[in-house]
Amino acid sequence: MPPSSRIPPLLQPYVGLPKDKSILLLTSTLGASANWLVIRFLCDALNTTHNGGEGGGEGANVVLVSCMREHEFWKQEARKGGGLDLEKCRREGTFAFVDALSALFLDAPPQGVGVGMGTQAARAPQTLPLRGAPPGRTVLVREPPAAAARQGAQTDPAGNKTASASSSTPAGLYTLQSADVAHLKATVLTALSHVCTNGRKTLLVLDNPDVLIATSATPTRTLTSLMSLLLTLHTQIPHILVHTQSDDPLLTLSSPQQPIEHAQHNFLVKLAHMSRRILSVRVLDTGVARDVSGVLRITENTSSVGGTGLIPKDEEERETDKGGTEVLYRIGGDGGVKVFERGAGES
Amino acid sequence: MAFRKRNVALKRAPSGETNDNALLDPSSSPPATPATASASNPPTPGVRPSPVDGRPTTSTGTPSLDGILAGHAGLPLGTSLLIGENGTTEYATPLLRFYAAEGVVQGHKVHVVGMDEVWGRMLPGIAEERGSGKKREDAKERMKIAWRYEGLGQFESARGASANRSTAQADGSSAEDAALFCHTFDLAKRLTLPVGTAINYIPIPRTTSSPFAAILQNLQRQLALSLPNTVHRLVIPSLLSPAIYPPHSPQPSSVLQFLHALRALLRQYPTRLTAIITIPLSLYPRSTGLVRWMEILSDGVFELSPFAVSLHENLATSAGATKDEERPQGMFAVHKLPVFHEKGGRGGLEGLGEDLAFTLSRRKFVVAKFSLPPVEGDTEAQEAAVREVSGGSAMPRKEELEF
Repeated sequence: MPPSSRIPPLLQPYVGLPKDKSILLLTSTLGASANWLVIRFLCDALNTTHNGGEGGGEGANVVLVSCMREHEFWKQEARKGGGLDLEKCRREGTFAFVDALSALFLDAPPQGVGVGMGTQAARAPQTLPLRGAPPGRTVLVREPPAAAARQGAQTDPAGNKTASASSSTPAGLYTLQSADVAHLKATVLTALSHVCTNGRKTLLVLDNPDVLIATSATPTRTLTSLMSLLLTLHTQIPHILVHTQSDDPLLTLSSPQQPIEHAQHNFLVKLAHMSRRILSVRVLDTGVARDVSGVLRITENTSSVGGTGLIPKDEEERETDKGGTEVLYRIGGDGGVKVFERGAGES
Repeated sequence: MAFRKRNVALKRAPSGETNDNALLDPSSSPPATPATASASNPPTPGVRPSPVDGRPTTSTGTPSLDGILAGHAGLPLGTSLLIGENGTTEYATPLLRFYAAEGVVQGHKVHVVGMDEVWGRMLPGIAEERGSGKKREDAKERMKIAWRYEGLGQFESARGASANRSTAQADGSSAEDAALFCHTFDLAKRLTLPVGTAINYIPIPRTTSSPFAAILQNLQRQLALSLPNTVHRLVIPSLLSPAIYPPHSPQPSSVLQFLHALRALLRQYPTRLTAIITIPLSLYPRSTGLVRWMEILSDGVFELSPFAVSLHENLATSAGATKDEERPQGMFAVHKLPVFHEKGGRGGLEGLGEDLAFTLSRRKFVVAKFSLPPVEGDTEAQEAAVREVSGGSAMPRKEELEF
């Protein structure tokens, strides 16, 4: 029995962290997002602690840096898809979240309009709790105060670059306010100090750091500094999971070579070489099917695997197919996921 | 005004919702909210909970487009759509106009980037009450004769996902319910804008730096200043078109930062803001990394690929008017849907992989299955004409079998 029944048995060996230090790479495409898979990683890392680590790993602290999705999204998805209460984990000091979406390129609203925001925050409690039980609604409850808090934190836009990491009100929630890689590093290290208290190993999840490259005026330079940041962080953090986009247009270089395509291509290739395990999610090659959400391909980087590691069950599996495993998955309406071999959809 | 009369309770709203509304009603007073609102009115007009997960959605103004949006039967608040169009046509513009007009009619705050008041004056008006009423009567009578097939036809034409069924049926039986959420517009008419500031025209500054910072600031200011339950709609026609945007705006650092910030803004106001953006794909092909990033940063991505139609055919069909209104004018590709794809393609969505085609008639924009276009024509002459135009493809033969 897997430690969390929310993780399908076929997937179980792959979402567990290897025993030794490793970088894991997760790629997704436009029509097939890998958020559900990130959630499964979070589940595996955070959940095993509560179950006494029967699944092989003793669990890990998690720092999630998300450049594309807000905290609410992850909270909801973790609860629905993985039965995981990120809020609780955060309070317990096993989870920290760095929000690299909300303030990365969005400046604080102009001064003098705080009244509107204030009323919004004040009104929120009466409009929202009535809405009923489903967890989807809690977004509404939490968002306005967060917005107000964010505004409060940014009242002096000058000189908050260094202090920004501490500007978030609840512990374990951090907001990235500049696309500067040095700032990202500082924020991640601050977040790390939030979770590093209990002596367990740490998993850093970087969700779409390639946004930083794409939005940069100098993609190549950002790429270089991002890669060196990754390596620097890897010396302190044993496990890093990087989620990037791997869409064709981002990787195949068009004839007048565009810097963002070039940088994205380099980023992905470099990461793939560094990674212990690559999980790539894509849509079905043959078109859309009702009972299949997408294809998941898992490749173990055998050259760097020195006989250490994974769960024994996976060991033999890896022996049989060096080329990697390919399975199909389907996300259920309730957020649960089914993972199956080709042709075994109905079983 | 005509639409006020129809303001009756939404049947789809859960009973818990109506209680909330009663509490909210006194304080909520957007311009179009009727003062005589009964306790069962929704807090914000034009917003209803999604049948899938209850998140608030609003209409795009195009019923068939609402039907495509992953069963939510509307555009979830806090999300954006990116509509790319191939070729030099303007098929996406009516979609934007319907979206804006729906916002104006519902009392939402509409923001239009880079366009002036002329654009606002071109918004389609609400289809006339009497005419549509008569049509409805017609529909009812026809249904008495062959209700089963009639329902089927509407179901198809509205591209029936299960959640959409109510919309389709509403046409015939309870049009008033549907009208509250999504009005029927007529491109041939002009919407008379309410006095005051129904539409906020955000100019594109001619600066040497990124033009988007000023746009964002304008939008943020409006959002912060408006009442907390006002719903905002952001319309960005022809993003990056060289005609209206300064030459350096297509730089990734400029436009992608803007879209990222817009995404953040949408998430910051998850119950108050939606956006639809169109982009000319001929100038910015989907095979480039820039456009792909724009798509990744948007919540929903559609692509319009109009068929190449010769002028001769155009002339021939424009004379025939009604019969050929239903003939598809291009393919409508769905690349990404809001919420649905973010969750990893949750659940089996009916008909997601099907070929869709769009039809823009004088009055409305319809997205329907390509293989089974809604067929109105039933006389011999019309069939012959269709066969002639489409060059004797499988389509008319199928019709022959059916009728």
